Amino acid sequence: MKQQYSRFMRWTSRLVMLSMLTMGLPLQPAFAGMVETDQAISHELANQDRAKINAFLDREDVLSQLQQHGVSAADAKARVYALTDDEAHKLAGKLDQLPAGGTDIIGALLFVFIVLLITDILGFTHVFPFTHPVKK
Amino acid sequence: MESPPEYLPRHAELVEVPYFAQEAYQCGPASLAMSLSAAGISVTPDILKPELYVPELHGSLQVEMLAVTRRQGAIAYQLAPELEDVLREIAAGTPVIVLQNLALGLYPVWHYAVAIGYDLDNAEIILRSGPEQRQELPMKTFEYTWARSGYWAMVAMLPGKIPETAEEYSYIAAVSSLEKIGDPKNVQRSYIAALKRWPHNLSAQLGVGNTAYRLHDLAQAETAFRQAAQDHPDSVAALNNLAQTLADQARYEEALDSARRAVSLDGPLAKTAQATLADIEVKVREHTSLPAH
Repeated sequence: MKQQYSRFMRWTSRLVMLSMLTMGLPLQPAFAGMVETDQAISHELANQDRAKINAFLDREDVLSQLQQHGVSAADAKARVYALTDDEAHKLAGKLDQLPAGGTDIIGALLFVFIVLLITDILGFTHVFPFTHPVKK
Repeated sequence: MESPPEYLPRHAELVEVPYFAQEAYQCGPASLAMSLSAAGISVTPDILKPELYVPELHGSLQVEMLAVTRRQGAIAYQLAPELEDVLREIAAGTPVIVLQNLALGLYPVWHYAVAIGYDLDNAEIILRSGPEQRQELPMKTFEYTWARSGYWAMVAMLPGKIPETAEEYSYIAAVSSLEKIGDPKNVQRSYIAALKRWPHNLSAQLGVGNTAYRLHDLAQAETAFRQAAQDHPDSVAALNNLAQTLADQARYEEALDSARRAVSLDGPLAKTAQATLADIEVKVREHTSLPAH
């Protein structure tokens, strides 16, 4: 069984190498050392996402919620900087679902959910099992 | 639509959009062929069918619709999920491919059609749809069937043209998806068009530089990256690519300066910047050291 597996792996890796050699190279002629446009775009979008999260953390109602969970705004922002592009994007997406006022009961619950989600991802709380705290 | 905006014409119809009658399950290739032909790329559903049609699904996937559009050399732009945006595109002369679910969520019947006109007074939308060259559908019925696809809609544009409803980042991202497979000259036209509408957009500035670099026009690439670095002094990408472009012209002192600035900024592209700097430093040593013999 083990041998079969390794033979399988050997052929697969050969196939992968071959496809990389035949398909990968011609698409990327002499672009070594350069940052691709799409790569730059995803970082730029992630920076916008981070700015959106930071603006959220500046809201007074959010600040008081964070304080209740023993988190200083400065600490939270330092962690936001450390989020991966993907995490920042997911989090900013959640913020878009948040009602602007947050006065009605659904809005208030969603608001607390978002705050806890943020503190979870930042590693200050661990309310939701599906979040992975940011590694520093 | 409850209250259409004032500036939208009461009715519009793009009568010149060609019609390809679809064979069974071929609404994807037919719709895309109509849209591309209207944009000025003459194709037939038969040409697109092998790339687009998935026999097991009896249909075509949305991502493939976008990808095949790019392979035909056009910009594939997915619209914001708003009926108003569909109508605005039509009023501006661009037919819109829409995905409908003609049945209900439990037993979906997916269907691509091309929206070519509308009449706000009669509350109708006009489609090239399947066997019908001119289908007049009540706007409400259309909205229900379209909503069940998650309001999926796209346009195919020739490079250099920007959709009426294009949003800055979505459009420039759509252009960048064409950069690695399309003709760099054409792709560059789109970045330049984007810069006319959004003059300081960093990604479009980088795009002009990167397409020039692909075309081996180092002078143009240098100008574009300089502009990008000037407008966005904290962009590692702009400084890194400027450094590489200068090094390729054997202007090592200037290249070192840009590369060092890129490295000093840190961020997610730091590794690329460090590698570029190390590479230039090696070249400088090779350049300045005397031959061994």
